[in-house]
Amino acid sequence: MGKPKAKVDGEKCLACGGCISVCPQDAISMCGGRAFVMVDKCISCAICIRTCPVGAISGEVY
Amino acid sequence: MKYDVVVVGSGPAGSVTARFAAEKGAKVLILERRAEVGVPVLCGEGISQKIDNWGMLEGKRWIASKMDGAKIYAPDGTMVTLSKEMAGNETGYVVYRDIFDQELARQAAKAGAKIMMKTEATELLMDNEQIKGVKVKQFDEEFEIEADIVVGADGVESKVGQWAGINTVLKPNDLETCVQYTLTNVDYKLDYCEFYIGKKIAPGGYVWIFPKGKGIFNVGIGILASLSESGMALKLLDNFIENHTELKKGEPIRLLAGAAPVAKPVETVKDNLILVGDAARHVDPITGGGLTTALEGGKIAGETIGRAIEQQMFDEETLSAYETGWKEAFGRKLRRDYLVKEILLDFDDKTLNMLADSLKDYEFEEFSTLSLVKALVLKHPTLLMKLKPLLKVSKESKEE
Repeated sequence: MGKPKAKVDGEKCLACGGCISVCPQDAISMCGGRAFVMVDKCISCAICIRTCPVGAISGEVY
Repeated sequence: MKYDVVVVGSGPAGSVTARFAAEKGAKVLILERRAEVGVPVLCGEGISQKIDNWGMLEGKRWIASKMDGAKIYAPDGTMVTLSKEMAGNETGYVVYRDIFDQELARQAAKAGAKIMMKTEATELLMDNEQIKGVKVKQFDEEFEIEADIVVGADGVESKVGQWAGINTVLKPNDLETCVQYTLTNVDYKLDYCEFYIGKKIAPGGYVWIFPKGKGIFNVGIGILASLSESGMALKLLDNFIENHTELKKGEPIRLLAGAAPVAKPVETVKDNLILVGDAARHVDPITGGGLTTALEGGKIAGETIGRAIEQQMFDEETLSAYETGWKEAFGRKLRRDYLVKEILLDFDDKTLNMLADSLKDYEFEEFSTLSLVKALVLKHPTLLMKLKPLLKVSKESKEE
């Protein structure tokens, strides 16, 4: 089982872009007005999870 | 499809850049991925009244209210007032950001810029390692837009900068993560904007209360991402409102999130490319405010681009007039304020309380660094050590 990767809850995301700006892997993009994580690029650093002001990002093991 | 300039993003920096480039005769296209300029608002509705002198906005519809000054509350509740005379840049307008952004976009259109909605730049269009425009997606359609100059006005996310090889990734201690409510039916008399600081209230940032008139308030929080946990900004803001005797009686009509870079500016020019506004990290690292710098920088960028189009020269050297220009206009202030931000972050709540206690009766009219330091240190001598780094920064920035 791998490390948990970031996953955005599209219902909670308010599209501020904070997570995108701090992602060291450029693994997050805005997609249809919500942040979207490209799982292949995610290195499980959890910076985006801690940054999200509304708690819309969590770790999920794939 | 070929333009002289394609501007990615219709926020304040993008629209102002587009306007001044178009006024110089450039054929400009603005791309906006959203369905409405300025919507959703992404935090921040305060701006200095010095924009009055710039003549970039017409009418008054974008103004919600004028603020007479600022009140800053230390962790223990001690209040320091910055009056109109002293607050200087802090005195300003509370604006309706959606209308504000739309007015700037209108000015760009009036100057001849074209605007495309629901059109997202997906990557740079390259030819032999040279930037030739952008690839875009509009609804389900994908196509290419050629341009001699691409302007990255894509905000804190700054993908355009990344595509061009500029490292715009922010360290968590260089980002303020924010949420704000618009509260209505609040019975709270306030002609000032209020700021609340302290580790428990807003670690590495502050809570603000901006009056918008008619019992409507913009109440928000920014905390440093490196001190944040998942969802912490919203929880702290909810706590703050719940503990405020008047605000808690209000009802929200809007909730939104934002992110403000509080970083050193990045490289803003490459061959055929310019970054402006938040994408260029043109934000005051102390306040997190980036509207005035977006407007000021955007104008310089637009004028530089106008000249480049006239000369048909789009190389880094030609465009570097923009970088020289913004560095002259506000580069030194951003660098100095970054250093001050780093020092202030080291202050614990006790130090902030002592500072506020020393400043609360200080007559700001006779402001000078020396008299200020005297006032501070006379009351709390231990502050001298804490303030030393600040004095050093102040001295160095004067000598520059």
